Amino acid sequence: MNTNSNAYTVIYTTLVVVVVAAVLAFTAMKLKPSQSANAKAETLRQMMSAAGIKSTDELYATKNADVLQLYADNIEQAYTIGLDGEQNGTLSTELKNIELVDNLKPQNKAIKENTGVTLPVYVFKSGVAVMPIYGAGLWGPIWGYVAFQPDHYTIAGAYFDHESETPGLGAKIKDEAWFREKFIGKKVEWGAEPAFKLEKNVEATGAENAVDAITGATMTSKGLNEALNVWFKAYEKHFGLGAFFGMLEEHEITNEEEE
Amino acid sequence: MDKKLKETILNPILKGNPITVLILGICSSLAVTVQLKGALVMAISVTLVTGLSSLVCSLLRNSIPMRVRIIVQLVVVAMMVILVDQVLKAGEGTYAIDKQLSVYIGLIITNCIVMGRIEAFALGNKPIPSLLDGLANGVGYGLILIIVAFFRELLGSGTLFGLRVLPAAYVPNNLVILPPFALILLGCIIWAHRAWDKDLQEK
Amino acid sequence: MEYISLFVKSIFVDNMIFAYFLGMCSYLAVSKNVKTANGLGLAVIFVLFFTLPINWVLNTYVLQPGALKWLGPQFAEVDLSFLSFIVFIAVIAAFVQIVEMIVEKYLPSLYSSLGIFLPLIAVNCSILGGSLFMQQRDFPTLGEPLVYALGSGIGWYLAIVCLAAIREKMSYSNVPAPLKGVGITFITVGLMGMAFMIFMGIQL
Repeated sequence: MNTNSNAYTVIYTTLVVVVVAAVLAFTAMKLKPSQSANAKAETLRQMMSAAGIKSTDELYATKNADVLQLYADNIEQAYTIGLDGEQNGTLSTELKNIELVDNLKPQNKAIKENTGVTLPVYVFKSGVAVMPIYGAGLWGPIWGYVAFQPDHYTIAGAYFDHESETPGLGAKIKDEAWFREKFIGKKVEWGAEPAFKLEKNVEATGAENAVDAITGATMTSKGLNEALNVWFKAYEKHFGLGAFFGMLEEHEITNEEEE
Repeated sequence: MDKKLKETILNPILKGNPITVLILGICSSLAVTVQLKGALVMAISVTLVTGLSSLVCSLLRNSIPMRVRIIVQLVVVAMMVILVDQVLKAGEGTYAIDKQLSVYIGLIITNCIVMGRIEAFALGNKPIPSLLDGLANGVGYGLILIIVAFFRELLGSGTLFGLRVLPAAYVPNNLVILPPFALILLGCIIWAHRAWDKDLQEK
Repeated sequence: MEYISLFVKSIFVDNMIFAYFLGMCSYLAVSKNVKTANGLGLAVIFVLFFTLPINWVLNTYVLQPGALKWLGPQFAEVDLSFLSFIVFIAVIAAFVQIVEMIVEKYLPSLYSSLGIFLPLIAVNCSILGGSLFMQQRDFPTLGEPLVYALGSGIGWYLAIVCLAAIREKMSYSNVPAPLKGVGITFITVGLMGMAFMIFMGIQL
């Protein structure tokens, strides 16, 4: 047979493409459920690490099914809010049907374009509320979770992840536990511009709403700073109001003590 | 085992090592060697892709039209890579590693070892030797990957497979984690390899 | 302004060779003298500049999750992203093959200087890498991938011509025998990479 004729070439390539496409479509379909299960468990691990349910290392050593169970045991409620701060949906927290908003990219776009958003809030039984953040680092996307104490302005914990920051520099936002721990106890200043800062020499100034940027990773720190502030701004009306009353109460108490 | 088959398997691991001797597939060897775990997964993925692509291309070798040869081969390789990628994403333990390897899994397609072995060996040989040749080249590649990753993880983070081995007093060397060091390390491995096997030295 | 920033960034900061080590095989093999390095570098710029935007269009309107919305609302849920590797590489290989045929037929003089590099380029990681990074970075309009492709291509060109120039000079120096050739080239590229890292801190 002449394997170099035009007709043969065309038929051959078509056949190869059809076979390959069929094989791939089949595997993609078959593996989709376990892939989404992995993605979901990953989101839960990062969220619960921020909320301080368990340490990051422990969570990453836990099996998917147990991670789901852990979440179902600890979650109080989960819902979504709009930019006006009002609740606009609920997320199921039942073990069989855990709902998350784990695709943050379109939400980030919607925040910037001020179109309809469904931003998730996860409230744990300990009273800690978790919100996600998302933005661009030096090479690719960065995202993470920030957990608040019940007063809604003291940070209880944070977790950050990235797709392709420089190992040893920008990748520290994920790899170094001390960086995440620096956020604990810091306070977000709702309504201020910016509400939170990543800058130099924070330890010297002692600012409450700031954390030291990572040395040598200027662009990643800048990206994380922007991601935090864009998302804090989006949650401002939701968390900010409650935090405002909380602060008032705190002041009253101190005033009473003074009397 | 007959001599020729043995040669097919052993040659790529030492004398004809794809990285240090033929200088193929360098790209990924540098990017994924910060941690041993990632390097190991990458090594296994590349071994599987080279082996299976060589096998399939060898089966097709008499029927491929010459003019579209490269494209057909690339499609076969790309299919294998997508399969590996999908399986890694679906496995519970490998999901995080797949994420860490990010685009470098996709770049196995253009890893010159894969295409190089298909062009140089699989198109002219029977399926079984082609499969073995592909697998052996993958192993030779993986070996170097793991050596590089061993040093980079040990010196760069003081750990091996994520477990701390150096005392806490050791300050991790950041230079080792940065990409240029991988090149220098690879240069040193080639140096050692060629000092040991004088036949490989260039004039 | 954003375009200029992206352009400069893709040449120096995101340099295909020094930041990602993409396209190393041909980079090391064809950098023995400046003349051939020049030819391969130009070919990379050319192919990258055309394939990356084509792949951007395919990614945005066919492959992304929900990209097929323009076909009708019933396609909004379709996710073909698992096909992206294969589509990207097919576009690149087909483009290279077509260009090779055209150049061979109509511009024989160009073919004799550049043509031999074209088959090498289909399997050059920097071309596929460019498309994969484009997908990861999610450029909003066609302008960005065009600028990014041009910048990355020029960055690659710069890197290979620099290395070729150094290697030409190095052939006169007395390198230890086992390091000769590839060994010393690796170390040189490593040092060049370190030098290029100074660009990482620049803010644009």
